[in-house]
Amino acid sequence: MIKTLAEFSMLAQERGPKKLAVLAPEDEEFMRAVKSGWDLGYIEPVLVGDTRKMEEVAEKVSFNIDRFHKIPQAGQQAISNLGINMLFSGELPIASKGQIPTSYIYRSIIREEAKAGSGMTVSVISFWDIPGMDHLVAFTDTGVNIKPGVKAKAEVIKNAVFVYHLMGYPRPKIAVLSGQREVGGTLDSYKDYEVLIKSADAGDFGECEIVPATSFTEIFLGEKTCRDGIADIQGDEVPHILVVPCLDTGNILCKLDFFLDVTRSSLVATSRGPVCIPARSDFSDNIVQQLAMCVVLADEMEKREQ
Amino acid sequence: MVRSFKDILDKALLGGAKRLVVPCPRKEDALLLYEASAAGLIFPCFVGNGEAIKNLVDESPLAEKEYEIVKENDPHLALGKALEILHTHDGGILMQGGIPAHTVLHALHDKSRGMLPKGGIMSFVSVFPLLMGEKLILVTDTYINNHPTVAEKQQILTNALNLARILGIEAPKVAVLAAIEQVNPSIPSTLSAAILSKMSERRQFGDAIVEGPLDIDCALSRTAAERKGVKSTVTGEADVYLVPEVDTGHLMAEALVFFGKMKMLGVVMGTSKPVILDLPFVSLEGRLAQIAMACLLEGGDNPNG
Repeated sequence: MIKTLAEFSMLAQERGPKKLAVLAPEDEEFMRAVKSGWDLGYIEPVLVGDTRKMEEVAEKVSFNIDRFHKIPQAGQQAISNLGINMLFSGELPIASKGQIPTSYIYRSIIREEAKAGSGMTVSVISFWDIPGMDHLVAFTDTGVNIKPGVKAKAEVIKNAVFVYHLMGYPRPKIAVLSGQREVGGTLDSYKDYEVLIKSADAGDFGECEIVPATSFTEIFLGEKTCRDGIADIQGDEVPHILVVPCLDTGNILCKLDFFLDVTRSSLVATSRGPVCIPARSDFSDNIVQQLAMCVVLADEMEKREQ
Repeated sequence: MVRSFKDILDKALLGGAKRLVVPCPRKEDALLLYEASAAGLIFPCFVGNGEAIKNLVDESPLAEKEYEIVKENDPHLALGKALEILHTHDGGILMQGGIPAHTVLHALHDKSRGMLPKGGIMSFVSVFPLLMGEKLILVTDTYINNHPTVAEKQQILTNALNLARILGIEAPKVAVLAAIEQVNPSIPSTLSAAILSKMSERRQFGDAIVEGPLDIDCALSRTAAERKGVKSTVTGEADVYLVPEVDTGHLMAEALVFFGKMKMLGVVMGTSKPVILDLPFVSLEGRLAQIAMACLLEGGDNPNG
């Protein structure tokens, strides 16, 4: 069972290097991450995009990219389509976004999933490594579905459960989050919870459990009314997977790491392998971490297929 | 500028003790009310079953303090009586007491006895001291409005700016949060954020800098914002965070308390007299601070009073 992001890094060294399609690596911070990923033995990059730009930026971070396969391609959507197609055609097990808006990558993935007839909904899983906690906590969907209805949330849950199974958690616990509180009537996000908990009980999402709590107050305090215990709450009470009500909530909550003592790492789970989607504000250490996670999960997926 | 809960307490004490009207008081609030009385912030006025209240007071250190009991044996009428008291007296603060929050909010809308000025809307602001103690940040609306329209957000923001100014922030910096920092017609929160930002440019919020849409990383970090090409004095320095809707607001406030170990106090804004609601994840220290905050609002600083 992989309990921390550091474990992903350790395992990535054992299981790498894996071929990685890097889509438009035109930013120094990102190229630095590719360099570290190569030096650490996680990845062997296949660089797709404007070769002149990537050579310039590689030189700036003292990274000799002569030995790597480079595929010249112009246009952000074309670069994205090409790289994601390489993943889906089985040419390589992982793809990563460079300097391309994430929406282009999602579009390419959605197209390839449709072509493959996988029926898989695209969603982003953002992990939090919280010091002292015995498991990784994931927010999902933090990137794609703007206002997912109950059907989309069911798919989002399946994707996250799939990833947690790959990470070695036999029966992940899930909370379907909502801003439901004593006032304001019943929110749609709460109605979704009521439907989804029944589906989980019926086994629709495989081995997992939806907990009867939709807010952090319910998760941490439960029926307790002793608020003076707030400071002493135990992190292990947190479910593994936190399904967010909508994109705004997911994106805002998961990036509170800028404020808190937690480390964040995100990926897109597709039917053919993980796609690394670092945020444009991420620094190279964080991007390397995300690459490590993708390497390990790609390896687990390969093992399953065998 | 008020930078901490202690600053709020100190400033509130300058205004002297205020009448705190509590319908159907609960046993678990006795210690809090004692501390607020002992600090000199309030004198409680309890409304409800006289005998039960007397017992509650006698069993607590409140007995040694100044207090008042207004008898109303029917618990369904206690809140109405409390509102009546607030109407007939100058000043005063309403505390939720043993009445459910939704009943309190409903009653505040009442035309004859309510506390909501015509055309106004109530909103809830969560106030957090930053861990380094350098300042307070305001997050709104974290409790009352589910999915506010742009017009409602305009009022929610005005309410928060009123509070920010009471706290001595002269030209508050506001981050209007959304999932992304670009205006995207498919994501409604980015549209309303852009409108509010434009309103601010035309000085519709007075002395304030309203920036939006901002994603949370741009709001919290100047470096992150610059890497995304967002240049604004608000990034990394926001005083007020306006959230898109209550799913985000309520969960964000809770996340800061539980994961961030941050202290929170809550304030109802937009009412003619201060109202204190009791959210289950506010600690005793936060609850004392929110009584102090209500006293500050009552002390002539309430823009709706």
